[in-house]
Amino acid sequence: MIEAILIFLGLAILFGLLLGYASIRFKVEGNPMSEQIDKILPQTQCGQCGFPGCKPYADALAEDKTEVNLCIPGGNEVMIQISEITGLEPKQMDETATETKTKETAYINEDLCIGCVLCIKECPVDAILGATKLMHTVIQQECTGCEKCVPVCPVDCIEMLPQHVTPKNWKWPEPVTIKEASK
Amino acid sequence: MLRPFIEQIAKIYPTAKRYLHVFHGGVFPKYNKELSANQPVRTQIIPNKLILPLQQQVGLAAEVLVNVGDYVKKNQLLAKSSKDPKKALIVPMHAPTSGVIESIEPAILAHPSGLLDMAITLKPDGKNITIENVLNVSKQPIETPDQLKDILFHAGIIGMGGAGFPTYAKIPSRPGQIHTLLINGAECEPFITCDDLLMQTQADEIVQGALITAKALGSSKIICGIESNKPTAIKAMTQAAIGTIVEIKTVESVYPMGGQKQLTLELTGIEMPHKTHAVDIGLLMMNVATFTAIYRAVMFGEPLTARMVTVSGLGFNKPFNSVAMIGTPFSELAEAAEPKSKLDYPLVMGGPMMGVKVKDNGVPITKTTNCVLANPPEPVDMQMPCIRCGECMDACPVNLLPQQMYFHAQAHEFDKVEKLNVFDCIECGCCSFVCPSHIPLVQYYRHSKSELKEIHAEQKAVDLAKERHEFRTARIEREKAEREARLKAKKEAVKKQSAAKPADNPANNADTPKKKPASSAAAAAARAAAARRAAKTNQDSATGSTQTPETSASSEEKMPSARLKAIEAAKQATQQSAQQDLEQGSEKTTDPKVAARNAAMLAAKKRAAAKKAEKVAETESDTSTPVDAVNALDTEKPDQTTIKKDPKQAAKAAAMAAAKKRAQAKIEKKANAEKPSESVNTTNKTEDASPSQPEPSQMVDLTQQTTETDASRKEAARKAAKLAAKEATKKRADAARVTKQQAEAERAETIERTGQVDPVTDKRNKAVEAARQRAALRKTQKNQTNSDE
Repeated sequence: MIEAILIFLGLAILFGLLLGYASIRFKVEGNPMSEQIDKILPQTQCGQCGFPGCKPYADALAEDKTEVNLCIPGGNEVMIQISEITGLEPKQMDETATETKTKETAYINEDLCIGCVLCIKECPVDAILGATKLMHTVIQQECTGCEKCVPVCPVDCIEMLPQHVTPKNWKWPEPVTIKEASK
Repeated sequence: MLRPFIEQIAKIYPTAKRYLHVFHGGVFPKYNKELSANQPVRTQIIPNKLILPLQQQVGLAAEVLVNVGDYVKKNQLLAKSSKDPKKALIVPMHAPTSGVIESIEPAILAHPSGLLDMAITLKPDGKNITIENVLNVSKQPIETPDQLKDILFHAGIIGMGGAGFPTYAKIPSRPGQIHTLLINGAECEPFITCDDLLMQTQADEIVQGALITAKALGSSKIICGIESNKPTAIKAMTQAAIGTIVEIKTVESVYPMGGQKQLTLELTGIEMPHKTHAVDIGLLMMNVATFTAIYRAVMFGEPLTARMVTVSGLGFNKPFNSVAMIGTPFSELAEAAEPKSKLDYPLVMGGPMMGVKVKDNGVPITKTTNCVLANPPEPVDMQMPCIRCGECMDACPVNLLPQQMYFHAQAHEFDKVEKLNVFDCIECGCCSFVCPSHIPLVQYYRHSKSELKEIHAEQKAVDLAKERHEFRTARIEREKAEREARLKAKKEAVKKQSAAKPADNPANNADTPKKKPASSAAAAAARAAAARRAAKTNQDSATGSTQTPETSASSEEKMPSARLKAIEAAKQATQQSAQQDLEQGSEKTTDPKVAARNAAMLAAKKRAAAKKAEKVAETESDTSTPVDAVNALDTEKPDQTTIKKDPKQAAKAAAMAAAKKRAQAKIEKKANAEKPSESVNTTNKTEDASPSQPEPSQMVDLTQQTTETDASRKEAARKAAKLAAKEATKKRADAARVTKQQAEAERAETIERTGQVDPVTDKRNKAVEAARQRAALRKTQKNQTNSDE
């Protein structure tokens, strides 16, 4: 009897210590869910979700403070992934969420630019280069295509253009599948 | 021992031949090499035009060095990159023959996409005037890899087997790193015989080229692999290799024996690990054509401007091999081979297994084009569903699982395709070749590869965007914190100042009440004097002085006489009551935010005034300012006393002062409109005898304050000055009235003191608002003009 009690007491202490150690040793900093969501978000930092960037939206999602269907550039795909991660009910995207379109980047018509620096202030990734009263230009490699700079331009000199197809980024077309061929 | 047995079996089971070679899989297509192999090498065709795309196989586009209309000789440099060759991987381009540059414009590339890109079009004159030894080589034996690399770079030599990777970039700089040099003479694609013919005709050059390379790299072994279906080439090469370290090895005729990894395994028994380059394991393989190019570059200083090309196919009557100039259009070579029917079908660049159909038959030969193939279109076998027979898996020379990759690629599960090592696929086409369902498997892998490349690029872009966004957020935070810290510091400074002032002021206040009842006339006089002084300060404030409190403080410190205190008190009174343009300065002490704004507004002017201030400081501060100040105050004192005697006179004086001030304000306005207020300063200075006080401290201010020039702010300042001037005149009239009755004046003073700040700020706000509106108006005007333009 006493042995059994001792054994179980000993085991209880042992496992208690183990658990206690593990909770310190393997402590997770921050919210892993937010990191996970942040990873799948398109990182355009466009703010169309109403949050100042992708990370804040991910944080809000992780804390269940917002809807899953707010990421417009991500579209349906991202919405579904988010709902899978968060366990929230997937919701229909708003009508504005268009089909996944090809990536567009901003181009400044440099003849029209008056150098107002409004777009520079707006750009979430500092992809616009310029100074007051000097012509601005977009660093194409860094433009996420969030279109935030388009409405703020007072002379309407920014336009979104699809990427050029060069032999470098040209893609082999997908072969016609049997189903499509039979149609 | 095994061979005769397998050869027997191969009659009924052809794939049994797979046991004869080392690498996995492989296929045995119908070679059709005899079509062109039995023809003599034709003399070089000089085409009507040569198209030389600036974008080569690898790297960015080269930069053009010639102009349209220029006459160029053969081997002349046409384009090169200004970038570091170590990073850019762009080799120079030379003229393949003499002629005139006809145009530099986009042309269709020899690329499966059929995209347009910039290209130089050269019209040959047929004379073939050559610049000999354009690379300036001295036939000295090359001892180090770097020497060789330099020559290869300037000769524009790239791997001529297929990928077109610049050869100089492939070669390691460390001598002895490559222990075995491999020569790829296993031309495994059907129809193609250019390497075969090259080995037959230029075996010496190949061997010498290999020896030069081996010497430079410090390699001790050279192995040349030639497929068994090229007996003439083997013979010629063995002949050339006698007495050298070159070892000729005959390898099985199996497709894709000519693949780099396959031939390396066959010749050395080393299977190249995943994601490693041959160079990493001390091996270097080059095509026979590359070695000839190396030989010609090192021995004769000839750049790479021509290559052996097979023009073959079932659609030609007279297939042939010829040394074609780089840039020769496909169509011209095809015409020379006498097509059986009109070439209304696309030619193929490369062999039937790996080649790509070009979008336009006028595309040029590139440094990597080994074959122009014309096979008339045949009825395409209908694509059937996959039956999971596993043939493709057996045929794959790199041990991949084509079937699995196909399923995932079809389902667009590209991450899974990548996990199945699709990037190890050499796109040899064995799987498609053996597929009984005629599934274009390679197309799926090519598509997957480009999709994956895009996904990776996107991932990179996303990471970059994230990083940049985070940096930006951090920067904004930091700037905000800095701004707040600055503001706080300023606030504290102001607080300190105001704390210091009360310390003085109590004394003042203690004094002034005593004095004022005793001699209220004196107070009035003092006010009048202060009014005049305010006129002085008027300029200062117009020039953006924040120094008034400081000056007063300093003067208080240095001259603690009762008289001075009285003056100081009067000054303070006028600062608030008389309210000339001073309000800018005085309010700075009361409202730090406004002070900061004002400072920013006027800093530009201050900067302009700095020079003047400096000058004045030099002349005046040399003779110790405090004394000057005392003097200045002393000179004023008599006035005060005289005015003190007669209140009426005081009123007169005040009126006069007001008139003066009005005039000053006008001048100021003008000066402001024309130029920053430095001119105002000077004019005022000439008028006033004692402007010494503000300047030194102004200098201090200048050093302290960093500012931004802004048109709108200047504008605002100007407007404010105008309004303030008006205000001042009004107030002065009031003051004149007030001076008649001292008690009244006293009261009025207090009223003004308390009440005036608000209207003034209101006015100024209005002024700022107006200025803003004006600025906005201007901007829109400008925009209009801009857009009109």
